[in-house]
Amino acid sequence: MKLKTLGDWFEKRLQLEPLYRNSAGHAIPRSSASWWYVFGSATLICFVLQIVTGICLALVYVPAADEAWNSLEYLNYQQTFGWFLRAVHYWGSNFMVALMTIHMLQVFLFGAYKYPREFTWVIGCVLFLCTLGLAFTGQVMRFDQDAYWGLGIGASIMGRIPFIGNDLVYLVLGGPIIAGETLSRFFGLHVFVLPGLVILFVVVHLRLVLKTGINDYPIAGKPVDLDHYDEEYEALIEKEGIPFFPDGVDKDVIFGALVISGVLACAALFGPAGPNGPPNPTLIDTVPRPDFYFLSLFAVFALLPAYTETFVIVYLLPVAVVALFAIPFVSRAGEKHPSRRPGAVVGVLMIMTILSTLAYLGLSSPWSPHMDAWTRDPVPVAMVKGRSPLALQGAAVLQGKQCRNCHSLDGIGGQRGPDLSDVAARLTNDQLIRQVLQGGGNMPAYGHNLSPSEVTALVAFLGTLKPAGEPDAANAAQRVLIQ
Amino acid sequence: MSDPETGSETGSEAGSESGNEAVPGSGQRLPPSVPPVTRRSFLFRLGIGLNAIAASLMAVPIIGYVISATFQKRAMQAWIPLGEIDQFPERETRLAKYRNPFTVPWDGTTADIPCWVRRIDGQRFQIFAINCAHLGCPVRWFPQSGLFMCPCHGGVYYEDGSVASGPPPRGLYEYEYQIKNGALWVRGGQTPTLSEPV
Amino acid sequence: MTRNRPWTIALVALAAVSLVACDSLPGRPREADRYRLPSEILDFASLYDLRCAGCHGADGSLGPARNLNDPLYIAYAGHTAIRSVIANGVPGTAMPSFLDSTGGPLTAAQVDALADGIVRKWGQPARYAAAALPPSSQAASVTGDPQRGAEAFETACAHCHGSGGTGGPEAGSVVNSAFLNLVSDRSLRTTVVVGRRDLGMPGFDGYVKGRNLTPQEVSDIVAWLVAQRSEFPGQPYAAGPTLGTGAEKGKGRD
Repeated sequence: MKLKTLGDWFEKRLQLEPLYRNSAGHAIPRSSASWWYVFGSATLICFVLQIVTGICLALVYVPAADEAWNSLEYLNYQQTFGWFLRAVHYWGSNFMVALMTIHMLQVFLFGAYKYPREFTWVIGCVLFLCTLGLAFTGQVMRFDQDAYWGLGIGASIMGRIPFIGNDLVYLVLGGPIIAGETLSRFFGLHVFVLPGLVILFVVVHLRLVLKTGINDYPIAGKPVDLDHYDEEYEALIEKEGIPFFPDGVDKDVIFGALVISGVLACAALFGPAGPNGPPNPTLIDTVPRPDFYFLSLFAVFALLPAYTETFVIVYLLPVAVVALFAIPFVSRAGEKHPSRRPGAVVGVLMIMTILSTLAYLGLSSPWSPHMDAWTRDPVPVAMVKGRSPLALQGAAVLQGKQCRNCHSLDGIGGQRGPDLSDVAARLTNDQLIRQVLQGGGNMPAYGHNLSPSEVTALVAFLGTLKPAGEPDAANAAQRVLIQ
Repeated sequence: MSDPETGSETGSEAGSESGNEAVPGSGQRLPPSVPPVTRRSFLFRLGIGLNAIAASLMAVPIIGYVISATFQKRAMQAWIPLGEIDQFPERETRLAKYRNPFTVPWDGTTADIPCWVRRIDGQRFQIFAINCAHLGCPVRWFPQSGLFMCPCHGGVYYEDGSVASGPPPRGLYEYEYQIKNGALWVRGGQTPTLSEPV
Repeated sequence: MTRNRPWTIALVALAAVSLVACDSLPGRPREADRYRLPSEILDFASLYDLRCAGCHGADGSLGPARNLNDPLYIAYAGHTAIRSVIANGVPGTAMPSFLDSTGGPLTAAQVDALADGIVRKWGQPARYAAAALPPSSQAASVTGDPQRGAEAFETACAHCHGSGGTGGPEAGSVVNSAFLNLVSDRSLRTTVVVGRRDLGMPGFDGYVKGRNLTPQEVSDIVAWLVAQRSEFPGQPYAAGPTLGTGAEKGKGRD
């Protein structure tokens, strides 16, 4: 009884009940309290985790180009739990990007962006871009070689934009080169601007969710009808509405706990990312790779035909972003259920297949020379034994002239060119000589950098590379002559 | 929509229209015709105007501050010594480093800029930027095969900087150089990109 | 209150365990994973695997280039020569120079570490006293005679490399002009003395049953091999205008 009086005293002054009724307690359709509807809140939980760990990291991290890398090392090795918070922040960002993507896919597949929730989608797209911005600027905060050259790639991309490209490069780098002002700029973006925007747009996003109501679980054969949707939704809430808190929140809470546990587990098991080498451009023994969210983009740049690159980067990417924003205005009404929207499902599957294939390719980067393969990857023993002195010299030429950086033997070595293990079954000696001297098919011409003896030796070695029992390659003219 | 906004912008028509659509009955709160310029509405407009002036006064320095990098630091080129030419053997290509002249004290190692110096013979040089013309990654020189290779997307260049294979849209960026009193000088200062190739 | 007791205990225990276990979590960066500058890597195994294994084989043998795990070779060549070859390479052959002042990737300390490591790991100084070996080329006081070398070759080498060195049942030609153009005199000499025992080629003590090759025979054979070099190797149209390797390397593309 006394407790109740106290509660009333506070309630009279704080007026929490109406706030609850308009926010956490708002009615949602019972069907929407589904496991499919947990990804948005999970993304938000990741963001909160990022804020908390980010503030902690900022207590130690030095956002200055000359000391940032040292402070990362300090976090990793000296600061109590420093490595763990770095790891949580890193894995939290990975989870956040992943969950946000899943959330977007779910919203798209469930048709939740349709009338009257167009702006919820638009704001969501803004949040998507902000989060990717946070991911990229966060990668720069890990101010190591990857960050340095990642910025270089960013600057090069902007440098391709016509007319204003160079101004943009200066604007983003804060000067003519990647240096002190660049890091400070990205720190400002990562710590103030982008999180501020995310908070702002999350508030707008949530307000729109409250005002337009959570999307009702899609039912096949029940299309959105612009004239009647509002009444139908109201009727649905009347009929089976439950307050989001406490009745509809259970799955969100459980999934949120799972997500946090997942982040913590990944952090404990796999640890923080890097830092690798210090951001010193004169250390050129480096193989820059972006974090996973940008691997697919990284792959696109390697795989596009060179002449289309600027077009795709400068024009097609922005068009794709605009298209993303435009989805709810192009398809405002109609069926929501994925089983009645085969085009949408196929589109999603295609985009996800493309993106994950590209990311996988980006991870393995078969187009990149293996810079150390020529001195690191041994010639398979079976290709050494029983070879003539000339062929052994040829194998040494193959290694010494960095052929191995792009060509593998028995699958080991660069992947850019074809594996040479069976080259003698594919090319005749004449063809080999021509290919080596003139190059072609994306291979440099070695004519100026191989002496005749080296070519002879190399071809003698390559001529021994074929599976047992396989005949030597022969061209048509030779076959005729032999017959 | 708050009342002052509707009142200040378009007056009663817009106000009653939006009122009819959004909150039935709210139009009654607004006067039915053009409101007379009262003391209150005048002061309100005056306030808006003063704030607009204040905002633009604030915006000029803020925007100028943020974008100053684009107009202040343009054409950042300077002659920088790379050392005696004798340290570059003829017919070889060597890595050289210089301190970027446009630097702040906290740049640390980021202002140490590498470049590839090819001494063709005698007084003839070529100085290449480290950055691949494709997307700016650091190219590495392999004297044995006479090629520059890029670790990112597999751009390959011949020893004179021309494209050998891969995606680069042009040869390696080349700095200007001069020889003064037996020392090699390079004209550098900014990261080369396609829109400003050195 | 009593109802919450187990929970409280569990939470405290969890916190304690995580505090203690944190040090041994697999994700914690180890001192060994700390980034090291490429120039700071001084342990032999890493250096060898990164810079040598490609040509000299994974554990110093069975690569296209000389096996380094041969104590006879190490005794014969000696630490100084091994270091010098790593640092400066062998011009005209596939062996590049590795010292940074020659444009290579290694510091002097790293070259030292490699040379020391090769000698320490694979050398057996007790087994081969340098005095009992044929002199290495820079010390060779014995001048070779190609004529006698041809005869000595027939005795010592022809049973594998064929009569006249043109290739036999067990080993290929050693008079191939391209081959001879790609190896230095000194490496010919080293191979004659040391062999390639990983590939079944014995050293100077294994060619002729019951006796070693004499220093004179070694010099003769090398002299004969060197005499087989042709000026314009590799092509039948030898008379045409040809560029030497050296000139070719410096030439720009037009």
